[in-house]
Order: sequence, then structure tokens, then C-alpha cells
Amino acid sequence: MSKVIIIDDEPFILMMIEDKLKKANIDVVTLRESKNAVEIIKKEMPDLIILDWMMPELSGIELCRILKKDPDLLNIPIFMLTAKGQDSDEQLGLKCGVVRYITKPFSPKSLLEMVQETLGKDKY
Amino acid sequence: MFKTKIIYRLISVFLIFAVMIIVPYSFTILKQVTKMIGEEEAVHPPVDEEYAKLHKEFTSRLFEQMLPYIIYILIMALILSIFFMRKMLISLKELQRGSQALKDGNLNTKLEIISDDELGDVTRAFNEMAASLREKTLELQKKDTYVNAMLDPLWVVDEHNNIVDVNPAFTRLFGHMKEDVAGASIYDFFDEKNAAIMRKQLEEKREKGIASIYEISIYTKEGSQIPVLISGAPIYSGERIIGKIGILKDFREQVELRNALRESRDYIETIMDSIEDELIVVDREYRIVKANKVAKTKTKGPIIGQFCHVVSHGINRPCWAEGHECPAQTVFLTGKNIRITHQHISPSGGRRFHEIVASPIKDSAGNVLNVIELLRDVTERMEHEEEIFQKNRELIALNSVAGLLNSSLKPDEIFIKVLDKMLTMMNMDGGGVFFLDEVNKEMICRYHRGISDEYIKMLGRIRLGEDIPGKVAVTGQIMTSSDVSKDHRVERSVIKHSGMRAYCCVPVRGKERVIGVICLFSFKVHVFTMEEENILNSIGEMTGIALENIRLYEKMRELYEYQRKRREEEHEQLLSMSTKLGSSIELKEVMEQVLELIRKIFRADFAWLLVDDSEGNLVLKTAIPVKGKGEDIVYQKGISSIEGYAVEKKAPTVIQNLKTEDKFYISPELAGPSYQTAIAVPMFIGLKPVGVYTLYYLGTRDFKEEEIHFLEIIANILVVSIERSDLYTKSIMEKGLADTILQSVADGIISVNNSGRVISINRAFERISDISAADAVGLTLCDIFRYADENIEFRFLLGECLESALTGNRASREGLLLTAHGRRMSVLINSDPVFDANGNITGAVNLLRDISREKEIDRMKTELIRSVSHEFRTPLSAIVGMTEMIIDGDLKDDKVRKYLDTILSEGIRLTNMVSELLSIARIESGKESLKFEIVDMDAVINSVKESLSALIAKKKAVIKYNINGDGDFIGDEEKIKQLLMNFMDNSLTFSEEGCIIEIKARKKNGDLEIIISDNGWGIPDEDMPHLTERFYRGKHGEKIKGTGLGLSLCNEIVRMHGGKMDIKSRLGEGTEISVKFPSRSKNE
Repeated sequence: MSKVIIIDDEPFILMMIEDKLKKANIDVVTLRESKNAVEIIKKEMPDLIILDWMMPELSGIELCRILKKDPDLLNIPIFMLTAKGQDSDEQLGLKCGVVRYITKPFSPKSLLEMVQETLGKDKY
Repeated sequence: MFKTKIIYRLISVFLIFAVMIIVPYSFTILKQVTKMIGEEEAVHPPVDEEYAKLHKEFTSRLFEQMLPYIIYILIMALILSIFFMRKMLISLKELQRGSQALKDGNLNTKLEIISDDELGDVTRAFNEMAASLREKTLELQKKDTYVNAMLDPLWVVDEHNNIVDVNPAFTRLFGHMKEDVAGASIYDFFDEKNAAIMRKQLEEKREKGIASIYEISIYTKEGSQIPVLISGAPIYSGERIIGKIGILKDFREQVELRNALRESRDYIETIMDSIEDELIVVDREYRIVKANKVAKTKTKGPIIGQFCHVVSHGINRPCWAEGHECPAQTVFLTGKNIRITHQHISPSGGRRFHEIVASPIKDSAGNVLNVIELLRDVTERMEHEEEIFQKNRELIALNSVAGLLNSSLKPDEIFIKVLDKMLTMMNMDGGGVFFLDEVNKEMICRYHRGISDEYIKMLGRIRLGEDIPGKVAVTGQIMTSSDVSKDHRVERSVIKHSGMRAYCCVPVRGKERVIGVICLFSFKVHVFTMEEENILNSIGEMTGIALENIRLYEKMRELYEYQRKRREEEHEQLLSMSTKLGSSIELKEVMEQVLELIRKIFRADFAWLLVDDSEGNLVLKTAIPVKGKGEDIVYQKGISSIEGYAVEKKAPTVIQNLKTEDKFYISPELAGPSYQTAIAVPMFIGLKPVGVYTLYYLGTRDFKEEEIHFLEIIANILVVSIERSDLYTKSIMEKGLADTILQSVADGIISVNNSGRVISINRAFERISDISAADAVGLTLCDIFRYADENIEFRFLLGECLESALTGNRASREGLLLTAHGRRMSVLINSDPVFDANGNITGAVNLLRDISREKEIDRMKTELIRSVSHEFRTPLSAIVGMTEMIIDGDLKDDKVRKYLDTILSEGIRLTNMVSELLSIARIESGKESLKFEIVDMDAVINSVKESLSALIAKKKAVIKYNINGDGDFIGDEEKIKQLLMNFMDNSLTFSEEGCIIEIKARKKNGDLEIIISDNGWGIPDEDMPHLTERFYRGKHGEKIKGTGLGLSLCNEIVRMHGGKMDIKSRLGEGTEISVKFPSRSKNE
């Protein structure tokens, strides 16, 4: 079973995505803080990370840069799920190695499709 | 020879005289000697021959002897004559010399007086003559010098108008030499026109011996003409005029100046006439000396020369003497510009309001000679403002009364408060509320103010139809009397002799009949205006509605006892909705919530609210579930619908079976589900229909009387809010219009001549561009901005506008200007041609408007939209995403509930964000103005407490407050309420259960300080600097949802009041917010 880590400071976003992915038989770990995220990611070694951009202490984009520098983690695909809808924001996100840049509000159904596509159908 | 030589003659006379003596004497001697010899010979004849010979020879010897003697005498005579002649000769010689000297021009000759004889006299006379001749000559010479030295040309003509003499100045000016013009006729120097002028002048004046002065043109030698001013005078010889003298003053400069003056006058007049406002120039006697076309057309009859107070006010002495603030007088006194709005009369006799900009025209010494007044007709604006003011006043009164009515269900409280409010509002001394006792046909005074209890015993019972309250109760019409003592209608009234003067009696109308009257009186004369009567009527109606509500409410209470448990929560929400309706102007979303609540409470399948537009159509305002667009006409006027029927009947209408009811037309909006039962509840303000709301049911449903009453209460609450929201929208729109009109004043104006050179610039331009008039005037327009290379684009645009204007077409461009001080700004350029009276283009007027602020606002708007859209995305995620999951059936039932809760709370968060943003936007755009009134802090805090009662109860919070009557001040009550609501809401939200919130108010030097403190969580230090930033959500915001706009809005409200907000906080201990409001009077 594939494993996805979701990091967002809005609990209902976590709840929504968790419910949607779990129903599709995807293992989900949710984090409300980005503070200790790197350690947890190293421990869990997920197949995909879904990140919010705007988070206190450590922003999603900063976290993304850290992950992309770590040789153990740099291959884990990252989705950016954010309220920042400007074209320039998206450019910056993609430059940091994000595979999907999704702006809020989003459709859980489409998100699931994108997750499944990234994970590859055989994996779940 | 003898003729001329007097000396020879004199000598000759002497000699002849000598000869004449000598000759006879000699002859006599010789004769006597000869005779004597003869006689002797007779006696003694000669003795001898010798003797005889001796005798004979004696005579010749005697002659020989006598001859030297004769010669001697002659010589002596000659010498004597010469001796005598000598003196005379000298005198004569002297005279001759003097004459010769005079002849040679030596006027200083003075002869020596040699003898004291006649010749001496002659010499003396000669000397005198010479002296007087010298004097005369000197005088003549002096005159000649004057004439020659005269700068002004001069001619002397004879009686036939032929030139006798001209002076050198004449030659200098006209080039004609004296010798060329001598003898010529003066008419040779004029063309026909000037000759005619000259002839006329000569005929009329000079020929009759009267001096004259007039302007004429004279030909020069080269053939051109020079204008001169001739002053002429006749030359008399005795009684006869023998000629004329004319002094010809060179008048070229004057003519040029005059032309220049005329041109500049034409120019000024063109500019003046191109101004769309009235422009007049007033002298120190308040006489109008100049006026532009607009001013002339706006005045009946001639305007120039009239007194400005006669024209503007129709009075015969200056308006300041009547106590007006006269702008002209102020400028004459202060010498400074003034801007003022002044009331004038129009030619038709109505009133006009002018916004006047009066500026002084000073002489070089700084004395104010004239005043220019620019009058902009702002009558319409003032009337609008007055109307808005009236409406606002009406609104404030209605609002505060509505607030009173909404906030209490106790009649005693309502009536006393309403009465007090009316007394302060109308500035009356007292009053009472009378109720109709239908059984005894009596009016009974239940509440009163300013009247003693004894008096009430006398006045307090009035028979229906008697006295004023009785009459008003019967007719249902308001009655006012500005002075009771002069009012014949109240001849027999008790109040006639009570000392009361002004009196008014307002009916309190219930559902169908009058249930009481409110009477107000004053000991002074008070003229009630139409507006006041309208307000009083509205208050009467609203009080009636409130009373009706109370009655219905009391009837309902029983029902509530049974259903309290179920309804308690709903009712609380309803009250909070009513507060929301009372406080919010952005009604739509709130109304939606109210309608939804009603629908829920009454379990209807569909509900909508239609409002009556002024033409009788029913327009969709809100529908649950949403249908159609808002503001669509659902039922045209005259169409028979359930809603229309209810409005017509003025009562809730229940249709039990819509399927069998064919009397009514059903809107296609309702097609689809087939509704069976409907109840339509109309909404009225007094007799004016406002709208209707209807609940539709798929199944059948019965309505109990109590339920219908409840629906009517809701209708009454809704109606006040709808009316208020409409009035607000209108007044905000109109205020916006007035603002736009005012905008146009601050534009920079550059006038140029037809070659594009700057003639003048105004102060606004100096301010906008940082360029002084001295640096600009005289340059070509585009060269003013040459100081920076960056302005090349701007200069190009300006050049295009100017070119267009100078070919007669208006042009407009927008460009970026770098000012002389290095500021960058967006500028709108408008160029207009200036025409003279003949339609020739004499220049252009260029208007430069600083539109940086508009651009900045555009930028801010974009920025705001960006941040707003960003903030909206998160709650929208919940609404969109969760709804999708529910629809897709992804969730178990218990989860659905949780999801719906989240959707709702995020929806509410979104709604709050929108309304707070709107409030901030309104304040920031300046469209929101404060409505100053006396704020009763006690009432405000109570009302806030009530609105937050659910939250207070949930948190088990203790609210302490200590106002002690110190809290009243002038401010905008609604805004203050919003402010306190936000503060208290924050304190409650960010605190543990059982928290204590304390509100204190104290006055310091007239300023009011309100302090709200809590013992809640406190604010982390890092959040402190960002508290008033829009959308900033602090550390605690991570745990608790909010908009991040509350404190930002509070800050704006405090700023609008001119106050100061100060927040102190310690993490874990609590927060203290202090707000200071400066003291102000109500009119500020």
C-alpha cells in the first residue's frame, strides 16, 4: 500500500484529503506542523508528500528545498497544495522541484486522481 | 555834403557870421575914412600932389591894415566854432556807435553821457531803449528756447490754417522740415477721416475761440500715419483771432497700450467666458465692475454697475450688514483668498447656493482694489446634501427608535425611551403618551415627561374626539401647532392656559386602528417642518408596530412556554439576527441567513423575499434555496399572485392547496417541485408596502394563529432593515456624486497664447508640478517640463493636446510626469481652445489633473483583490471540497455531520470576512461618514452584551463594567457598537471558560477613554506590531478561526473618530485595550 504524508495547518484540509485517500486504499499520515516534518518523513518514507505553502515556522517551499537537498528524500514526489494562486508563485514552486502545483479551492476527486497517477496504478 | 555833416554847417554858420560882421564894418570904416578925407580936402584942398596921392592911397593902406585883422577874426571864429562843436560831436559819435552796435546785435551797449544837455538826454534815452530792447530780446530768446526744446511737436497756423511755424520736435517726429511745411495747409497732413475730425473740431471749438483737445493721425514725411493727441488754442490779436497754435502729443504708446489692453481684456473675457461658473469682479463699494457671460445670463437685466448685494440678495445694503458672512468683505478686510458657500437668491426669486472662491486684486502697494468672485452653483448639491442630511436625520431618529423598539419587549421601557428620544430630538420641553381605552371612549395618559402628576390628573383623561389628543385619535392624522395661543382649533383646550406654546400630537397606529397618541409640547414657539412631521409620523408608525409586536409577542408567550425548549436556540438566533439587521447595512447575506432561519423554524421547503420596487412590481431579493438572480422582477405590477394579494390585503395570506387554487398566477421560478401550501406575509412601513416573504410547502400544513403572529413580527423586523438599507444605498450614491463634483477644483491650469507660450498658471498647477509661475510664464508649453529627460514622453503627449487645441479641437491624454522636485505622478491632460469674439483661436487652456491617487487606488484594489482571493481560497476549499465529497457519497453518515459543520463554520468565516472587508472598504474609500449623536455607553454595552449573550453563556464569562454616567459622548453609535462588539468578541474568543472582562470609561480633560481588559490568553510579543494589519492572524489564530480583519476595522473606526487605540498585553495574563476619543460637539 502506498503511503502519503500530508502537511497542512488547516485541520479540515487534512481531514478531507485523509478521508478521500483512505477510501482509495492509500495509507495516509497527517501533520499539522512542518516543524518536525523532516524527521517524520525520514521515519515514514512515504511515496508522496502533499505540502501546504503557508505554514508558521517553516513554510512549505522551505521544507521542499530541504527535502530536495537530502539524498534519501529527494526522489519522493511532492505536491504543493496552496492558496497562493499567482502564476509567479506556481513558477517558484515548480522550480523547487514540486511535481504538481494545486491551488485551493481544489476538488478532492481530482487530487486523488493526480495522486494515483503519480503513485502509479500498480502500487496500490 | 552839408546836408549830412552837421559840423560843416556849424562852421559855415560861424564863418558867415564872422564875414557878415567884418564886411559891413570894414565897408563902413572905409566909407567913413573916404568921406572924412573928402570933407577934409574940401576944407583943405590937397596941397600937393603928394598929399593928394597920400589921401588916395590911405584907403587902400587902411584896407591892407584891416585884412590881417579880418583873417584873424575868421580864424578865431573857426577855432571857436570847432571848440563849441567838439562836445556835440562826441555825443553824436557815441550815439552813432551805439546805433551801430545795436545794429550788430550787441544788446549790451551802454553809452557814456558826456553832456548834461539835450544830447545827454538823448543818450540817456538811447541807453534806456537799449536796455529794454535787451530785456525783450532775452525774453523772446527764452521763449524760443522753450518752444525748440519742447519734446512735443507744435505748430502755429494762421487764420487760413496754413502753417506758419513748427518746432524741431515736429521735425523729429514727422520728418517734415520747417521750411518745407511753412505755408502748407494743415489738411495736407491728414487723410480724409482725420481731416473730417479736424474740420469738425475747428468748426465747433477753435474757430469760436475755445481751446480743444482730441486724437488724430498725422502723415509723416515717409507717408505713414502717427496718432497724436492735439491740444489746440486760438491766438488773439486784440479781439481778432489771427491764428492757432496746436501741440501734438505723440500718442503711439498710448494707442499701443490701449490695443494691448483691449486685447488682454478680450483675452481675459474669453477666459472668463469660457469658465462655466459665474465670475464677477466687485469694487470697494460692492459694485460689480466685471462679469462673465455665465454671470450675465444668470442675472435678470444688466449686471455691470449694480451692487452685488442687489443682484445676489435683492437687498439694498451690503449683505454683511444683514449679518451674512460676505466673502467680498472678508477679502477686502484680510486681503486673502477665501472659499465659502453662500446663499443667494435666483432671478426667479428662489434660493441658490454658491460655492464662492473670492480672491483679492491688489495694487502695487498691496491694497485690495477689487475682489474676484468665482461662483459655482452648488444649489443642486446643497439640496442633495440637505436632503441627505434630512434623510440621515430621519434615519438616525428612526434607527435609534428602531433600536429601542427592537431591543426591548417591555412597553414601559419602550414608551419612556421613545418619549425621551423624541423630546431630545425635537428639542421639546415635555410630553405624554395617551392610550385609547375603547370601552370608556377615553384617552388616558400613561407615561409623561415634564408635567407634574397633579397636572396629569387634570389633563390625563380626555374624551375621544375632544381636545387635541382626542381629535388625533379619531382622525389618525398628526396635528401640530407652532403657537397654541394663536391657534383657533384649540380654543377650548386645557393646554391653552397651561403656558405651553408649541404642541404636536402624533397618532400611534396599530394594525388597523389608532391605539394611542404621543403628545409633545414646548414652552417656546416651535415651527414644525414637513420633515419633522414625517419623522414624527414614522416614529408613531414604528411605535405602533412595536406595540403590535408586543401584543403578538404576549399572545405568543403561551405558545412559547410549550415549545420553549425546542425554540429557545432559534429564538436567540432570531434576536441576534434582528440585532444584525439593525446594525448591518450590507443586508443581502444577513437577510439570506434570516430567511433560511425562518425556513428552518417553519420547516418550509422553499422561501423567498420579494420587495416592492417603487413602481409596484415585486422584485426578488433573496430566495432559499437560491433561485434566479437578485433584483429580478418576479411579478409585474397588476399580476394576480399570492404575494400581491397578501400585500393588497395587508395581512398574511395562507393558501392551503395551491394545486386547486387557480385564482393566482405562479411564477415560473417556482416550477419544478409542485408546492401545495404557501403562506405570504406582507411587510409595511405605515401604509407603504415594502415587500413580502412567502414560505412554500410540498405537503399540506396548517398554521396556528401564534405562528402567523410570529411571522408578522419577523416581517416587522425585516421591514425596518430593508427600508434602512435602501436609504443608505441612495445616500451613499448621492454623496459619491457630490464628491465627484468637488473633485474638479484642484486641477492645475496653464493658459497659453496661440503660439503656445505660457501666459499664466494657477496655484494648483504650481502645487502639482512644483514649478513656480516665474519659471513657467513666457516659455513654450512643452519647454516647462524640459528639466528632466524622463519627461520626453509627457512633453510629446502635451504637445499633441496643445496642437489639437490650437487647431480648435479639445484633446485629452494621460501621462506620467516627473515634477521639478522629483515626484512621479500620473497626470490627466485636457486641452481646450480659447476663442475670441470673432471665433479666432487666441490660445489654449490646458488642465492638468493629478490622477496618482486614482492610479494608486487602482493598484491598491488589485493588491486587495489578490490578498482577498488568497484568504478566500482556504474556507472555499472546505466548502467546495467537502460538498463534492458529500455529493460523491465518500462519507459515512456521522462524518457527513462533521463535514457540514465545517462547511457552515467556514461559510460563516467567509461571510464575516466579506462584511468586515466591506466595512473597511467603505471607511477607506471615504464614502462612510460618521453620524454623530450622543452615545449612551450603557445602552451600547448592554446591546453588545445581548448580541454576544450566546458566547458569554458558553464561556461562562463575567462582564463587569463601570461607567457611572461618565460614558456619554458624541460619536457614531453604530460604529462604537461594532467596535465594542469586536473587542468583546476577541476577549471572549481568546480566553478560557470563566474569564472576566472588564469595561471602564473615564473622562479626562473632556476626552473619553474606554478601557476593555480581560484575563485571557494574551497576545504573543511577535504578533503585537501586526495587530491592525489586514488578514493578519496571530499565533492564537492557528487554533481559532477568524478573518484577520476585526482589529483592522476597529482601528479604522477609531481613526474616523479622531481617536487613538492602544493595546497592551502579556502572554498568559490578559489583554488591555484602551481607546481615547477626543471631545467634540454634536455639530462637528
